[in-house]
Order: sequence, then C-alpha cells, then structure tokens
Amino acid sequence: MPALARRLEGARVAATYQMMARVRQLREQGTPVISLAIGEPDFASPARAVEASYAAAKRGETKYPPVDGTKALKEAVRRKFARENVLDFALNELVVTNGGKQAIFNALMATLDEGDEAIIPAPYWGAYPLAVEVLGAKPVFVPCAQKNGFKPHPEDIEAAITPRTKWLLLNLPNNPSGAACTRAELAAIGEVMRRHPQVWIMDDAMYEHLIYDRIDYCCFAVAVPDLKDRVLTVAGVSKTYAMTGWRIGFAGGPSSLIRAMVNIQGHATAGVSTIGQAAAVAALDGPQDDVPVQMASYKRRRDLVVERLDAVEGLRCLRPEGAFYVFPSIAGCIGRMTARGRLIRNDEDFALALLEEEHVAVVQGSAFGISPHVRISYATDEASLVEACSRIARFCAELR
Amino acid sequence: MNIIASRLDRISVSQTMAITAKARALKEEGKDVISLSAGEPDFDTPLNVKQAAIRAIEAGETKYTDVAGTRALRQAVAAKFKRDSGLDYAPEEIIASTGGKQVIFNAMLATIDPGDEVVIPAPCWVSYPDIVALAEGKPVIVPCGENSGFKLRAEELEAAITRRTKWFFINSPCNPTGAAYTVEELRPICDVLLRHPDVWIFTDDIYEKLTYGGFRFATIAEVEPRLRDRTVTMNGVSKAYAMTGWRIGFAGAPVALVKAMDKLQGQSTSNPSSVSQAAAVEALDGPQESVEEMRRTYEQRRNLVVSMLNEASGLVCQSPEGAFYVFPSVRGCIGKTSRGGRKIKDDESFVTALLAEEGVAAVHGTAFMYPGYFRVSYATGTETLREACTRIQRFCEGLA
Repeated sequence: MPALARRLEGARVAATYQMMARVRQLREQGTPVISLAIGEPDFASPARAVEASYAAAKRGETKYPPVDGTKALKEAVRRKFARENVLDFALNELVVTNGGKQAIFNALMATLDEGDEAIIPAPYWGAYPLAVEVLGAKPVFVPCAQKNGFKPHPEDIEAAITPRTKWLLLNLPNNPSGAACTRAELAAIGEVMRRHPQVWIMDDAMYEHLIYDRIDYCCFAVAVPDLKDRVLTVAGVSKTYAMTGWRIGFAGGPSSLIRAMVNIQGHATAGVSTIGQAAAVAALDGPQDDVPVQMASYKRRRDLVVERLDAVEGLRCLRPEGAFYVFPSIAGCIGRMTARGRLIRNDEDFALALLEEEHVAVVQGSAFGISPHVRISYATDEASLVEACSRIARFCAELR
Repeated sequence: MNIIASRLDRISVSQTMAITAKARALKEEGKDVISLSAGEPDFDTPLNVKQAAIRAIEAGETKYTDVAGTRALRQAVAAKFKRDSGLDYAPEEIIASTGGKQVIFNAMLATIDPGDEVVIPAPCWVSYPDIVALAEGKPVIVPCGENSGFKLRAEELEAAITRRTKWFFINSPCNPTGAAYTVEELRPICDVLLRHPDVWIFTDDIYEKLTYGGFRFATIAEVEPRLRDRTVTMNGVSKAYAMTGWRIGFAGAPVALVKAMDKLQGQSTSNPSSVSQAAAVEALDGPQESVEEMRRTYEQRRNLVVSMLNEASGLVCQSPEGAFYVFPSVRGCIGKTSRGGRKIKDDESFVTALLAEEGVAAVHGTAFMYPGYFRVSYATGTETLREACTRIQRFCEGLA
C-alpha cells in the first residue's frame, strides 16, 4: 500500500471512542455495561425541532445549502447570541458548521502554520490537541490543578505564551472537569491577553447552558469586550437541546476569520445538512422551557454522583459548576490491586479494570491531559447512576 | 491583526460559486435570469427516503453514531458496491462522510506530505486541486483533448507520473464534461497504474447512476482487482437520489486508509448527520424506480441541449455519456463582439456577456482548468432549458 502522510504519525483515535468501542463489544457479548463514558445527553431532541425537520423535508429543503449556513439559521444564531449572551454579530461574522467540532477544526486549520502554538489548559477535550497536531502546530498545555477547581490561572497562561502562540483555547464549562469561570475570573485572563495582541481566544461555550450553581457566568467576549475582535465564540445545539446526532454547531467572530473558516469548510464538507439546520432554527427560536427542566435534572444527578463518589475511599470528587461530567482524582487507588488481581498503576488501568470487573465504563484522565483522574459522564438516568456509583464504591472498597 | 495561515493563500474561492452568486444578485434585482450553473439535481428527494428520515427521528436516531457511519449504512454501502460493481467491501473498509467532498478532504489530508504530486485530468472539478493544495500537495493538471472526448489517454497518464506522484484522480462520469470511461478505455489506464505501485487511485463515481445511451458504467477497482488495495472508490447519494442537502457521501478503501480517514473525521466533524444516514440507507436499499425516472428525464434533456447548442453559431457541443452537464467549445466566438458591445476575449468574457445580455448563467471552462469552453448544467426543467438554449443561440447570432 502507498504511504500515509507524516501528519498522521502519532495521531490517535480519541480514548472516548476506544472506550465506546469496547463497551459495544462487551454488550454484543451480552454483558450489561453501564456506560458513563460518553458526552451525550440522554434526553430526546425537542418536539419543535423534530417537527421543523419534517416540515423542511416535505417542503423540499433538500438542496445544497450555502456553505456558511442557511440565512434562516444564521439569523436564529444571531438572535441567540444577542438574547442569551448579549453578543452582537453581523451575519458575515457567523458560520454554521457540522458540529462545534468543525468550527474549532476550521478555525485552527484557517490559522495555524507549521510550528505555531496553541495554549490548551488541561484537563482538556481530547479533540483540541489532536487537531492542533494534525495541522503541524504545537499544543502547549497549561495544567489546572484540582485544588484550584481545574480553572486556568492567568499567570500560568501568561508563562506559556511565546511569539509563536496563536490561540488560547478555553472551554468553559469544561469537558471533562465541569469547571466554569466567573466573569471576574475571565476578566483576569483578559488582562493577560490584552498584553499579547498576537494571541486569539477560542471560547468553546458548548456547555454554556449547563450551569447548576448561581455563578456569574458569561462568554469571554462579554467579560472582556475590548478583545472581541480576536475572540471566536463557539456554541451549538448538541448539548443544550440534546441534538448531538444532527451535527449542528456554530461560531461567531471577526469576519476575516469567519471568511477563512467558510473557505476551508467549502473544501472540507461544503454546507451542513439542510433538515438539521431547519431543526436547529426551531430549537433556538422556540419556547425554551425544556432547557431548565433538563438542567434541574442534571443538577440532581450531579449532586447524587458527587456525594456518592466523594464518600468512596481512594477517590476525591469536586462539585463542579457545570457540564455533565465529574472528574474525580483516583490518586488513592494507585499502586493497589483489584479483587481479581489487576494492578492499578495509572488511571487507564483503573478505567479498564472497572469496565472488566464491574462493567462500568468511564474514561481515563490521561485522555484529557490530567492524571490520575477519571471522567464520569452523568448524562444518564438516576437509577443507572446510583447503580454505577455503588459498583464503583465496591470496586474501590475491594482494592488491596 | 492577520491570523490567517499561509495554506489559505494556496486555494481559490470557487468560481462556480462566484457566477452563481452573480446570477442570484441579478435575480434579486428582479432580472429574468435562467441559471444553468447548478451542480445539483432539480428533482426533490424521493418520498420513501424522506419518510425513512422521519421514522429515524421518531425512533430517536438523533444521537452520535460511529464516526465512520452507522453499521446499517456501511452495510447498505457494501451491498451497493456488490450489487452495482461486483466489489466486495467489508463494513470496516467503508466510511460515510459529510458529502463526497469530505471523503476527498480526508483522503488527501491522510496521505499527502508537502510536495507530493496529484495527477488530475482536466477539465476537472476545481475542488480536487484546491483540496490537494490545502493538504500541501501539488496538483498536476493534465489537459485531455476534446478529440478524445475529454478523456485521459494512457500515455498522457504515464507521462504525468513522477516519483513524487501520490494520487491519480478519475471522475467518471465527469463534472464538467459529462465524459465517462468505458471498460475498454479504463483498461490501458489500469495497465499504467499497475506499473506504479506507489500511486493511490481516487475514483469519484458520484455520477455513476446518470449515464445515457446504454452506456455501462465501470470503476477501476472492478476493472482491475489488483488495484483495489490502493483505490478509494467514492460514491454518494447526492446526485443519484437528489439528496445534495442531506450531505452523505461514502467510500470503500483499504482498512488502513479508512482508519486514517476515520481519525481525521473524528477530529474535524465526527459522524455525518444521523438522520441523513438513515435516509441514505433507504435510498440505497429501497425501491430504485425514481433513479431510473430521473435518469430518463436527464437523457432527454441532454439530447435537447446538445442539439440546440450545436445549432448556435460558433459553438461546438459533444454529446457526453453521463452526468448532467455539457461542455461546449466557445472558440468560434472568441475575438467577436456582442450586440451589447462586449468584446469576447475568452470563455470568461463569453459567460459574463451571456449573463448580462441574455440572463443565462453558465460557468466558464477556466473554472474547471480548461479555457475555451463553458459548462452548461441541464439539471433544470425542459421548458426552461429550451428557453435558455434559444437565448444562447440568439446571443451567438448577435456576435460580430
């Protein structure tokens, strides 16, 4: 076979996908696995979105859409940013993408030259460094300690900036830690960024609606308005409206960057599924009463999971502000042996042993750049969560 | 504060889109414009396909799927390759993407190192050279003579291959010419490729179902099984089932390359829309009568357009085997002046004057790396085509 490109050397499949594949294998063998590995709401897509997609299909909205998104969806996104985030964008400052992931990938591809650097606070979503590396650029990690609530410290960010730095990638509320920054904390990061005008800020706000405590949350571009002309704000309908499979994300930012992103998208995928776009318009424009209902449910689940896990010897679990993940430390389990004789040397061993012995799937922290931790998604029903937590407790109690 | 990467300098904004945008602007001003510039069917997606999408949504198929597509879709694609081409692809050798375009994008990014060469017969769809350039490769454009029906001859391919050649592209039936290769024409091309084991082969078969006059479609992996393990056989539902807006393309390829493309897709967009995937399963597995109906209509239109354009003074139009385009020569018009006083210097000034004076939008050959011609899409209603051709005849008669 002819060769693959060098850029793919070392490119890994995200650990989340690997874990999901293993779960599927076990299930096909008849093993009942509780999966807390996936970052996906367990709710159904809203009825209004579903109906809007039917109507669009019936109307014949099945032709090539504009690469940057249908006018209807771009206008709905503009209204969304204005209404929910107090962010004003013109239509040429917005782009609709195949999931938030594509907005991030397009922005990186449109900007990163070989050897450029992107600062990524850790723990991070695994897609960031994978994308940066495949584009020939260098991810520079800034560890965020559990004792600081996994939040990036402005001075750590500043210390990581070099003349080659092009981006700071923020993801708040954070996947995998659930951490969210307040307006004041963002303003402090903004102080640093103001001193480094070559660095742009990607604000991945995909989990913006999943915040459970009364904190003064806002988007970076709102907290630091004078830097808005080098901020790309990424959001979407996947998490807020339980619409992951539809693949609809969007981003707002300076028109020069958006234009370049649209150019890349025109070559990568062209536009986004038309009926998905119609569904997203309805999700964004319609009554929002399902959002607080789901939030209340996530909040109950978070509290349930945090209380149970933090009581387990060997685990330490913070109560994060948002998203639907907790990211407990498993430091107390390292070096110990499971009931069936597996040695826990690191968080990957922990996750694999937990899956094999208790049939609970979680993802090791090393996939998110901070060890020894595991990511637990609580986007599943309470009964399964209670059962999963008792299995985790039993697993840890039996460690020798 | 320019943040844009240098790779963006290497690609152009699509000229097809430029002319479409100009036509749309004229229409919005209230001008009577007929657009023959579209690259998509004018038919609506078949009803059974829409209904399958609706059923999928109702069944809650709105979650993430495997990055490379659902098992159901990959099985349907495997069955399609077997049924239509006698090709055996296992589901692991198949990837579904957001349009055929993403298959190309993934394949190029997965294989091209800086400076690698890609042999592209022209006239060609401009996305090929642009995607190659984005992946830092070097497009090697090989013009095919009108006297060989715009098809590449074996000796031309042999002459274009160097030690840096990574890929050979073939698009049959072709956008923009409609030319399609018979088995006998593919045979000598395969013989050349057999002599160059380090060259990958990309066959873009998206217009497979649209061939006329009893033409029998063939693809390289079928004609020469020894090339199968370095061939990407790309296809999709967009053109055959009038599903451009759903954004589903797919390919069969060696497992190692599929894995690499899967990684890239996992980093850039994840799975194509789950709903669209369900629709594509029905398109491939369901009743195929609508495909034949559409094909017959296209064939009638092709015959109409070819005969009317050949009556226009200065134009020479071949009758191609497939797709929904014809690619007449305008060389007999060069150097003349239109009724409106516009000098026809080249193919671009021809289509610009035609749009301005007769309100007919078509795309100049230079946009397909082949000056001296223009592309007419006949994916539009018969009466509209008749009117458009009458206007083109009038325009040509007015040239002096």
